[in-house]
Amino acid sequence: MKKRWPITILYRAFSSSTTSTTASFPLKHVKKSNFDSALSSLRHHIQAADFVAIDLEMTGITSAPWRDSFEFDRFDVRYLKVKDSAEKFAVIQFGVSPFRWDPLKQSFITHPHNFFIFQRQELPLDGAAYEFLCQTTSMDFLAKYQFDFNACIHEGVSYLSREQEDKALKHVNSTYKDESLDSWHSLKEIRDTHLFNIPDILFAERMKDRLSEWLGGLLRNRDEGSEVQPSFNDSKQQFETIFFKMRPAISLNGFTSHQLRLIQLKEVKDEQKIDAEMSIKASIGFRHVIDLLSSEKKLIVGHNCFLDIAHIYSKFFGPLPLTAEEFISSVNKYFPHIIDTKILLNSNSILQQRMKKSSTSLSKAFSVLCPQIALGSKSTHLSLQPSVKVEVEVDDIRSSNWNSGVKHEAGYDAFMTGCVFAQACSHLGIDFKQQSSSENLAHNEKLREHVNLLYLSWTNGEIINLSTGNRTSESLASNKRKNHYPKILFECIVIVWGFPSHLKAWDIRECISKVYGPTSVISVYHVDETAVFVQFSRAEMVSKFLDLKESLDRNNDPISVLHPLAKLLEGGNTCAASYETYKEICSSTVSKVLFADQAKAVGIKWKTKLVESSDKTKEHESLRKVKAVNSDPSCGERTKNKNFDDVSNDSSYSQLSSDEIIDSFYTREAKQI
Amino acid sequence: MVPKFKPSPLRIRSFCTKTVQQNPHHWPIKQITKTNFNESLSEIKNHISSSDFIAVSLQNTGSFSSPWHRVSTFDTPETAYLKAKFAAERFQILQFAICPFKLQASKVIAYPYNFHLFPRDELKMGMPSYSFTCQTSYLTAMAKEGFDFNTCIYDGISYLSEAQESTVKVRMGNPMAVDHATKSSSSPALSVADTVFIERVRSRVKHWKNACTDSDIKTEAALVTSLRKIVLGGEQFGSRPSMTIDVCSERQVQLVLKMLEDFSDVLVPLIIPAKGGGTQAVRAVLTSSDEDKHLLKRELQTFEFEQNKRVRGFREVIDLISASQKPIVAHNSLNDFTFIHSKFLAPLPPNMNEFICSLRLAFPQVIDVNYLLKDIGPVKKMTNISATIAYLKNRFFAPIEMEIPNQANENEGKIHGHNVVKICQLFGKLCSILKITPDAIESSDDFLASAINRYANIFYSLPGSSQEPTNEEIRGWTNDKRKVSCEDVVFLWGFRERISAGILKNMLQGSHEVFAEAFNVRMVDRSCAIVVFGKPGLSNTFKNVMNSKEVSGPLREMVSDGLKAAGYETYQRVCSSGLWESALADALDKALASHNCLSEAAYETKQSEIYLSNELINLAEL
Repeated sequence: MKKRWPITILYRAFSSSTTSTTASFPLKHVKKSNFDSALSSLRHHIQAADFVAIDLEMTGITSAPWRDSFEFDRFDVRYLKVKDSAEKFAVIQFGVSPFRWDPLKQSFITHPHNFFIFQRQELPLDGAAYEFLCQTTSMDFLAKYQFDFNACIHEGVSYLSREQEDKALKHVNSTYKDESLDSWHSLKEIRDTHLFNIPDILFAERMKDRLSEWLGGLLRNRDEGSEVQPSFNDSKQQFETIFFKMRPAISLNGFTSHQLRLIQLKEVKDEQKIDAEMSIKASIGFRHVIDLLSSEKKLIVGHNCFLDIAHIYSKFFGPLPLTAEEFISSVNKYFPHIIDTKILLNSNSILQQRMKKSSTSLSKAFSVLCPQIALGSKSTHLSLQPSVKVEVEVDDIRSSNWNSGVKHEAGYDAFMTGCVFAQACSHLGIDFKQQSSSENLAHNEKLREHVNLLYLSWTNGEIINLSTGNRTSESLASNKRKNHYPKILFECIVIVWGFPSHLKAWDIRECISKVYGPTSVISVYHVDETAVFVQFSRAEMVSKFLDLKESLDRNNDPISVLHPLAKLLEGGNTCAASYETYKEICSSTVSKVLFADQAKAVGIKWKTKLVESSDKTKEHESLRKVKAVNSDPSCGERTKNKNFDDVSNDSSYSQLSSDEIIDSFYTREAKQI
Repeated sequence: MVPKFKPSPLRIRSFCTKTVQQNPHHWPIKQITKTNFNESLSEIKNHISSSDFIAVSLQNTGSFSSPWHRVSTFDTPETAYLKAKFAAERFQILQFAICPFKLQASKVIAYPYNFHLFPRDELKMGMPSYSFTCQTSYLTAMAKEGFDFNTCIYDGISYLSEAQESTVKVRMGNPMAVDHATKSSSSPALSVADTVFIERVRSRVKHWKNACTDSDIKTEAALVTSLRKIVLGGEQFGSRPSMTIDVCSERQVQLVLKMLEDFSDVLVPLIIPAKGGGTQAVRAVLTSSDEDKHLLKRELQTFEFEQNKRVRGFREVIDLISASQKPIVAHNSLNDFTFIHSKFLAPLPPNMNEFICSLRLAFPQVIDVNYLLKDIGPVKKMTNISATIAYLKNRFFAPIEMEIPNQANENEGKIHGHNVVKICQLFGKLCSILKITPDAIESSDDFLASAINRYANIFYSLPGSSQEPTNEEIRGWTNDKRKVSCEDVVFLWGFRERISAGILKNMLQGSHEVFAEAFNVRMVDRSCAIVVFGKPGLSNTFKNVMNSKEVSGPLREMVSDGLKAAGYETYQRVCSSGLWESALADALDKALASHNCLSEAAYETKQSEIYLSNELINLAEL
């Protein structure tokens, strides 16, 4: 599920502007039944494509409210949150839309594919059962857009990640090796097994010897090619004749079927192994599409796609690495060129102008940049701007103004992303007419500065460069962000949880200010109803605060009861620690809904985690940094405080469901000019 | 109770009347979704109140993620509960089938309903559940049965648990009418501050009331009216004028309420709850007459009633069942009732005893057909209801006629929830075999009650599982009904993967003298095995040997290869501290690691607890 504007309004516009020229054939849905044929045609389209737009639909985004993306996410924490999301939720729809410039028609041709995917446990892999999380609000959101869950679960294309495939192949190898090993064991060690008696053993051993000799001969034959040693050849021949003639002999001699089974075991086993390997190959399924995208090294276009890429990585390659750096470097190996249209639109001034300062949500961008597609050909008043033509082809039906009438679906979203990108390129001055087909679009000098940049976090505008691993804050766009704060110093942050539930951000702020003075606390931010971040003005206050809290917890005397902090510690469950602990808790695979429960589940038994205050130099440095950033601390502070307390003290905050948070996110996104 | 019947070759002839359905695929089970939920409620209510028993059956999105998470024969009731709890907290109920039924001689009259549920966040408060886990294999199996996921997600009935409902009530901040309980708390002597407060509020209320009732003012201009409103702090409550009096403490609430009694002829006080609990304000609503006052009170009641109904959703049915106090028949009661408790009552308590107590308040009698089955004899290994029914059919002559008077809506495609009817059928059969069915005419409730009581509320009856790999080695033990104390069980891990129990046993046999006596080995999952010692005390010797540095002989080699051992208490700690790793070996490692951090004192208490409880497990099914 994507956090995007609902596009119902857009659809209404579609239906009203339907003209005879507007084709309304459906999107190409790919399910189990038509996967093979779709894959072979898609292979050609991707190979010929200039770029491929993608989009994913998932069963959820955040596994707990406190895992949502915050302003207070350091990049490593942000990655951990994305990692958690990609590991827990399932991808249920995958849109792939390869775009190819057709010089004859002077237009792009695209073939949007909408894959329903659902990973089934088709192989007898050991260990845990496949499972995934569903976020209730996301499922409800998908339902609102008439997502076809039946198509997904009944007929979705399954897949195996590369790692799962390797594991399965290894498993097959070891099973067939192990079993023979085990039976050897049992032959040697378990004398009294009812399965084998002495003649059986002798018989089986003899057959095994013969068979392995024969197999060995065969293998050697293969290795040595035509230079077959006559002796081996002889023995093989002999064996084969014996082997094939033996069956009638056996039955004549009145051997038991049990003995027959012993012979057949070997023969059958090899066949079974081949079968098992075949079935592993067959269950790769949808990953073929990803492998294709990766091997073709095409330019991948997505919209705000960091999470999408993380999903692709964890579903189709292997477990996500522990750190963002490792992740980025391996992503870059698999997909050397990725462009995020959201960054593209925000970071280029020409495009910002084109966007008329409207929201950069996908559907909005689509309707602003590609009105000729979004609204049909009739909208002539918009034809002033040069528009890139996009022709859609689905199963040999073509249309230059395609109106699929589809809902909020991955295939359609991928199509929109591609159109936005094509149009944006044209605004950037890329002339597709002069672009030679052999040249990779990603190497175009006008695009080069935008390639491989992804929003690590849209909330605080942090951008990561996949090819270099450098992190930057959004530069050009920064001025238009409504909530633009000076860089957050994470060493100044304390996380407090388990405090009395009636305390709100304002109370906590007041409480701490009483001890350290009115300017000591820059902000108090609710992680959820059970936890807050307290941002101090100076880093050394963190250790001071934790020390004080610890000593108050320890001495339960009347003096500590009267201490201003006592209000915060009431109930005796209040815990506090530095930002590092928050990171640690984020890295856990457990996801309890409330942060306080999560901390317990992670196994935190202490109440205060003191930080080393010995590192004076570091502290000093951070102090300087604070000064440098907050040139006018009082002013910056005031606005900031107001803002945070607004959010956190808002009486409706605790009532906000995630749905509303998503809604408010939309509104914010929409307001961002 | 040993049945006296001999296996009978007689086939039960199906009497094909209009309503008697022997073919399970034609059982008319009413499918209920959001669309027809409200209209069906009263009908369900009638069926529940006229029934003898209520059968329930759930379809969940999963049960256990790893082989060792499954409740198994080596589990004590406590660890079994913890496993069930873990599942109930993560997975979701998608279908809830209930079937109120009557037993009449050899006839079961059943009214089956199958509810499609989805935990939709109707109130936008992150309830009933923020997220839930799905197991692919469960969804695939449901898909094979033709389950319609779209109906379920688009049109499933939502719900809130009792605990959630009470939080919601507070959070929604709906005004509550003052009931006399809260009003009549004794008020101690008034302080000066109290008097000042009361008088100030009184005069404000008086002003406002007069202003509202004064007919002259009604002709004022709109601007003046609105200004007056701002000055006097008046508001509208529905169509009636009202006034909010802010309070700082519960004491002030009492004072205000007491003061408002003086105006009780026209003013109705309402309490506005604060978000964190307690009271935020008192609102006085002005009514024009006594009749109007009653009308307001009735309006408030219906409003609350309607809202509660909307909030509760499917829990309405659970409440009906609970209120009826009828015995409930289930097939896998521990699993089903941990789910029911966590979704519809309250979060699951940390241990089995508290769970049973809490559950008994809502459902005094729960009967597990599995437990009834145990009385019949060697039908232990049946988890599949249909197979059990078939087995009983061949073995006993106990024809049960199913009568389902429901008129299923034919236009609906697929009928789900057959299991619940099968449970009724199986229960009917079992009752007839065990002779606990009252005669249709002279049914004595007391007799039934006492018979039922024998079987009620046994949640953990060592579920046999047919899917477990049958190990030839262990067959010898099957006839041995001996129970094994947890003390004699040792968990063993850190050996080569995919080893079989037989090989492991062989490896152990020569490795140390403790293995000279009879012992048994069984794999729990691929990473871990349990060793059961036949002779008491040997397990401790073995654990000590493993812990000491002087391991010798072949065992030493195994230890240096990574072999580890731990007693049953470590396993219990794994379950109680929620270390649900996918391999039991990893979980045990973690438990040992965290245990080392604990203080000695904590260790001591834990030890004694285990030895005191001395729980027994049935080795027969190992």
